[in-house]
Amino acid sequence: MGVFTRPYDTLLEDLQETARPQREWVEGRGLLLIAGHFLSGVGAGGWVFASAYGDRPGEVASVVVLALSGLAHLLFLGHPERFWRMVRVRTSWVGRGFLGLNVLLASAIAYLALTLAAGAADTVAARALWGLSLAGAALVMIYKGNVYAVCRAIPFWNSSLLPILYVAYALRGGVALLLLFLPWRGAGVDQRLLELLELWIGLSAGVCILFYLTIMASASVGARRSVEDLLRGRAAAAFYGGVVVFGLAIPLAVGLWNAVTPVSLGLLAAVGAASLVGDFYVKYAIAKAGRYLPHVPMAR
Amino acid sequence: MRYGMVIDLKRCFGCYGCQVSCKAEHATPPGVFFARVVKRESGTYPNVRKVFLPMLCMHCETPPCEAVCPTGATFKRPDGIVDIDREICVGCRYCMQACPYEARYFHDRTRYYFGVQGPTEYEAAGYGRHPTGVVMKCNFCAHRLEQGALPSCVVTCPTNARTFGDLDDPESAVSRLIKERGGEPLHPELGTGPSVYYLPA
Repeated sequence: MGVFTRPYDTLLEDLQETARPQREWVEGRGLLLIAGHFLSGVGAGGWVFASAYGDRPGEVASVVVLALSGLAHLLFLGHPERFWRMVRVRTSWVGRGFLGLNVLLASAIAYLALTLAAGAADTVAARALWGLSLAGAALVMIYKGNVYAVCRAIPFWNSSLLPILYVAYALRGGVALLLLFLPWRGAGVDQRLLELLELWIGLSAGVCILFYLTIMASASVGARRSVEDLLRGRAAAAFYGGVVVFGLAIPLAVGLWNAVTPVSLGLLAAVGAASLVGDFYVKYAIAKAGRYLPHVPMAR
Repeated sequence: MRYGMVIDLKRCFGCYGCQVSCKAEHATPPGVFFARVVKRESGTYPNVRKVFLPMLCMHCETPPCEAVCPTGATFKRPDGIVDIDREICVGCRYCMQACPYEARYFHDRTRYYFGVQGPTEYEAAGYGRHPTGVVMKCNFCAHRLEQGALPSCVVTCPTNARTFGDLDDPESAVSRLIKERGGEPLHPELGTGPSVYYLPA
C-alpha cells in the first residue's frame, strides 16, 4: 500500500489547522489525477498542433498521451469500474471533461484510421472527424481549470484566471510534445515556427502566473495562505524548481538564444522536455497549495 | 419539510460528546468525523477565550457537492437531507473539494483503531456498512429520523446546545430560535443556503 495511503495522524493535524490543506488531489493516489490532468492537457494541445500541421508522428503521440491520461484518471478513482457513470455534464466539469476526452479519443482514433489506412484525408468524413476532435480537444483543455475554479471551498483555486492558465499550459504542452520528437522526425514540421510558438505561449503562461499570484496574494485569507505555501511553504520547491526553472527560465532562455543563433534539434527537444516538466509542476504546485476556506466568521 | 439544526455556541463547552456519539452511532472508521468540534483560541493574553465550533454537513439548500458530482451519487432528498448513494459514487472526490465545510471524507481502505490487532467486535459489526473507495458524510442520522428519533448528536449534547426540526415550519423550535436569537449559517456569502444555523456565543 505504502505511498497510496494517507497517514491518519496527518489528517488529525490537518483538522486542527485554521485553513486545512487539501491532500486528496495531490498526495498518494492523487498524484495520478495530477498526472491525468497534465497528460490530457499535453495530449489535447499536441493533437491540435499536430493535426493542424499534418504531423503524423505527433498525432499518434498525442493519442497515446491522451489514452495514458484516461488511464491515470481511471486509476485515481475509488471505483474505476463505475467510470461509465460519469456522464452528468449539466453541472459537473468532471463529467464534461470525461465527455471531452472520450469524444477526442474516439474521433482522433477514427480520423487516424481513416487517413492512415484508407489515405482519405480530404474526404468529408475525415474533415468531420477532425472538427469533432478539435471540439473534444477544446473541451479537454477548458475543463481542467474549471474543475478547480468552481471550488469556492478552496479560495486559491476559485479564480476565473485559472482556466485561462490551464488552457495556455495545455497549448504550450502540445507544442512541447512536438518539440520533444523533433530529433527523430527531422523535416516535415517548421521548427522555427514551433519554437516561436513555444516562446510566445511560454511568455503568456509566465505573465498569466504572475497575474494569478498577484491577484491571489491580495485576496482572501485562505488564498493568501496558499500563495505563502507556493512562495515559501510546502509547495515552494515544486514552484521554484519545476514551474519557474524548468517551465519558464530554461525554455525562455533557449528561446531567446534560438532567436539570435539557431540551436540544434537536440536542444529544442530538451526545451520541450523542460516545458513538459514545468507543465506538470504547474498543476502539481497549484493543487498542492490549495487550502480550504477557514471558518473565520465564527472565530470572532 | 426541510430538516435543519440550530447550534447554540453559548451553550457549547467543547465536550466532544456529539463527536463521540456520532462515531458510536455510525461506526465511522479512524479519520472520519461526520460531527466534529473545532477548537480555536481568539484574542491575545490576557484577553484570550476559547471558541468551540461544532461542525457537520450543512445540508445546503443549493449544495455545491451535489452540483459537481459527475455521477449523481450525491443527491438531495425531499426533506432537505443531502445524502450519498454509495453504489453510484465513483470516488473522484470532487465533492470534497467543493464542500466549503470540510464535511466529507474519503474512505480509501478499511482501518481499525487498534491497527495490527485487527477489528474489535464493535468494528467488525459496524464497518460492514461503510464500503471503501467512496465518499462518506453526515446524513442527519436519517435512519433514526425514520424511526421518529432525533439525530444522535442532538440527543447526546449534555447542554442542549443542539436543536433539530423543520426550517419550513415558522412555529418550529429551530425557526423560532433563528428568528429570536439571530441565528446565522456558516459562510452565508457563498450562497449555499446551509440548513445548520449557529446562535452567537
